[in-house]
Amino acid sequence: MTVVIREQDLEALVVGVTLLGSGGGGDTGAFGRMLRRRLGAGELVLRDASDVPGALVSPIGVVGATSVLMEKLPSGGEFDTAVRAVSRWAGADVTGLMSLEAGGLNGLTPLIAALDLGLPVVDADLMGRAMPRLDQFSWAVAGRSLTPCALSDPSGQVIVVDNVDAGGLERAVRSFVAHTGGWAVLALAPTPVDAAVADAVQGSLTRALALGRAHAGLEPGATPAALADGLGGRLLASGRVEEVARHLIADGGAAFGRGSVCVVDSSSRAVIRIETENEYLLALVDGSPVVTTPDLLCVLDRRTLQPIAVDAIRTGDEVLVVALPGPAWWRRGDRITRVGPEAFGLACEPQLLEAS
Amino acid sequence: MKGLPPSLAAMLTSPGWRGVVVLGGDADRRLTGSVVVMEVSVHPERMDGQLLVVLLAEDHTDWRIDALISRASAAGAGAVLLAGVEPLGRGAQLLAERLHLPVLGSPDPLAAHEHLRRVTTEPEVVRSDLVLRAVSALRRANGDLESVLRTTASVLERPVTLAGADGGTLAGEPLEAEDRAALVGTLPRVPVGWAAPYRVDLPGGAVLIAVAVLGVGPVCWLVARLPAVVPAEVAAVPEVLSVVAPAVGERLALRRLELERDARQRTSLLGELLHGEPSEATRRRAVEVGWQLDGWHTGIRIGADGQVDVAGRRADVVEAFDAEGLRAVVVEQGDGWSAWITAVSEPTATAVQEQAAAIRRVQRRLVQTVDAYVGVGRVQPGPSGIATSLAEAGDASGLARGRAETGRFLHVDRLGLAQLLLAWTRTDTFQPAAQALLAPIKGQPGDLVTTLAVYLDTESSVAETAAVLGIHRNTAAARITKIQHLLGVDLTNPDERLALHLASRTTPAE
Repeated sequence: MTVVIREQDLEALVVGVTLLGSGGGGDTGAFGRMLRRRLGAGELVLRDASDVPGALVSPIGVVGATSVLMEKLPSGGEFDTAVRAVSRWAGADVTGLMSLEAGGLNGLTPLIAALDLGLPVVDADLMGRAMPRLDQFSWAVAGRSLTPCALSDPSGQVIVVDNVDAGGLERAVRSFVAHTGGWAVLALAPTPVDAAVADAVQGSLTRALALGRAHAGLEPGATPAALADGLGGRLLASGRVEEVARHLIADGGAAFGRGSVCVVDSSSRAVIRIETENEYLLALVDGSPVVTTPDLLCVLDRRTLQPIAVDAIRTGDEVLVVALPGPAWWRRGDRITRVGPEAFGLACEPQLLEAS
Repeated sequence: MKGLPPSLAAMLTSPGWRGVVVLGGDADRRLTGSVVVMEVSVHPERMDGQLLVVLLAEDHTDWRIDALISRASAAGAGAVLLAGVEPLGRGAQLLAERLHLPVLGSPDPLAAHEHLRRVTTEPEVVRSDLVLRAVSALRRANGDLESVLRTTASVLERPVTLAGADGGTLAGEPLEAEDRAALVGTLPRVPVGWAAPYRVDLPGGAVLIAVAVLGVGPVCWLVARLPAVVPAEVAAVPEVLSVVAPAVGERLALRRLELERDARQRTSLLGELLHGEPSEATRRRAVEVGWQLDGWHTGIRIGADGQVDVAGRRADVVEAFDAEGLRAVVVEQGDGWSAWITAVSEPTATAVQEQAAAIRRVQRRLVQTVDAYVGVGRVQPGPSGIATSLAEAGDASGLARGRAETGRFLHVDRLGLAQLLLAWTRTDTFQPAAQALLAPIKGQPGDLVTTLAVYLDTESSVAETAAVLGIHRNTAAARITKIQHLLGVDLTNPDERLALHLASRTTPAE
């Protein structure tokens, strides 16, 4: 099944990938506008793997501190540079693109790259949502190597990394972006499309579009439960943010901003606590864990229904906390340990919504 | 489990829980026991109102604290106690309030656990431990009463008071006024020997435990104040006080012995001073006890009606003088006290008046506990001045005793003079007093002393006076005017006239 994206679908797509970001994944606004400019009155086809038999696809996206994107603006040539570098190293041309992570701005970056480079986009990605680490790519979890890969920064600098595992690549990427512009475009090796999508989450952008459309159809005046229903999720709370606590923890050399958000439900007075890193990770209702990664936790502004990111939430916000089912790909015992709460240092069994 | 378990609020006042603070949740519970666990990740079983003590809780803002509060509440815990006293996160606080589960913190959770466990399951161990500690601490405590009370207070970690039958503090921490009233209302006037300890429940939830101290002198009570009822402690404290009470009684007896010895010494020394010019040895002894013999002395005699423990109450008298800023030497004498105040130089008339007013305030302080009457002598110089002024004071007090209209207070000064003169005519001190009174007109031209005597004898008739003395009537009138002027008295005032009349009678005319 192929999905065609036109100008009028963009707003829904942007909201959809933001919801898949579960509070993280970076600010989608800038790339949403960039995509609108590139797309113009044209159209973009989200292809199924079977539509492009024999294609060599490269998962592509932005890594590093996505918050720096607004200060260190893209030059426009990063995608081309990275794709050409990885093609040259691998000795095979990239003939298709897919996303590294569907949640957040990386749900949009391969679309921009595809328009720029004139390549088809396959609707598959390595996360199905947003997550912070490279070892949480489905390829890495399934045992597929992430290298060779190429990184390019906005000034044109390129490095190619090969012969290293996901942890080593993580360190290489972090030291590269730390010493250049804070972020870089990462393009993985061109891979036969069948193999590429076999170990990937499929249909995430289609889901994002559907979610975005459902979101657009919501009535802001509806009851919180009805709003959650409309998104196909479960309402955890509707109330005021009582406290937002943030602190840094040193985690294997990389400092993640750990924090927590406390919301009191205005009708039941239940106390909802959400543990955060880059994303909303774990929700406790009255002290009992009820939803954890890889399911999605979305915090929406009660009035505008716009998703609120982890780094934007503030004490006093009136919010809805809604849990959405995470990508089905992760719902397997051997996979879930890599993305469940334990993977974030939260000593808790994964708590997932009933598969819908 | 023996008896009613202690409430959380009471435990928080308990000495063994000194470091424990409330971090969240406000409900008061009864704590039936204590269960200790290592980490916050535990899943407690049925808690039945017991305290859940967590030994390792590094980060009080961690989400696992929230999860633990939830599980502890579901398991029926009475409260949760975490290691450390850092504040909880907002979420955990809200949760503790919502679930009505108090969350406590302590720098030493194991000690808090152990204390609660013993209090709830082994009250007899708490009791014997306290008694043993009291006994061994008392053995080390050096002599005096204060140190015995301090030691007891530090063993109990509660204020301990030695109170009189009226609730007044004899030693140790003073009782609050309302506590005192409640105590006096409960205690019997005359305690039975080795009577059971008394327990007084105060309105605020605090408890007074009182044990009678029987010994020489009036009965007094050893009182400990517990701010709240922890049953094990309420059971243990009377035992400790009963052990301490004989020791306190012994200290009181020793103190009494010392008091009496000192009193005897002072009284005999004063006796020597009152018998004429003091000898070299007497002077030396006076210096040794800190009496200043030189200077200007004001004698004060304080008499007391009824049965008064003169030696025992001396401290009260000294205290009353101190409170009014008077540095007085106080000596037990007969049924009261003799005291004197020494000034380096002769005080002015105003200073004397002020001093008299201060002494009057001293009397008012004493009247609250002693039925006292007070006489004050005139200022007299030198070592013999003590005896003189005290003699005046003694006479004055004798008069003061029967004169309720002056507040049973008499100062040998101009105003009380007349009455004093009456008394003085029977004493050796009268003569010098009379001479002092007439001193201003002595040696004046015109024999004013004789003129005054005649004038008063003739019922204030100038004509008669002139006739008796053989002088002109105008001369007599002029002399009378001069006498009034020199003495500064008004001869129409009957009191003053009487005083002068008596004085002129005893003073031999030149």
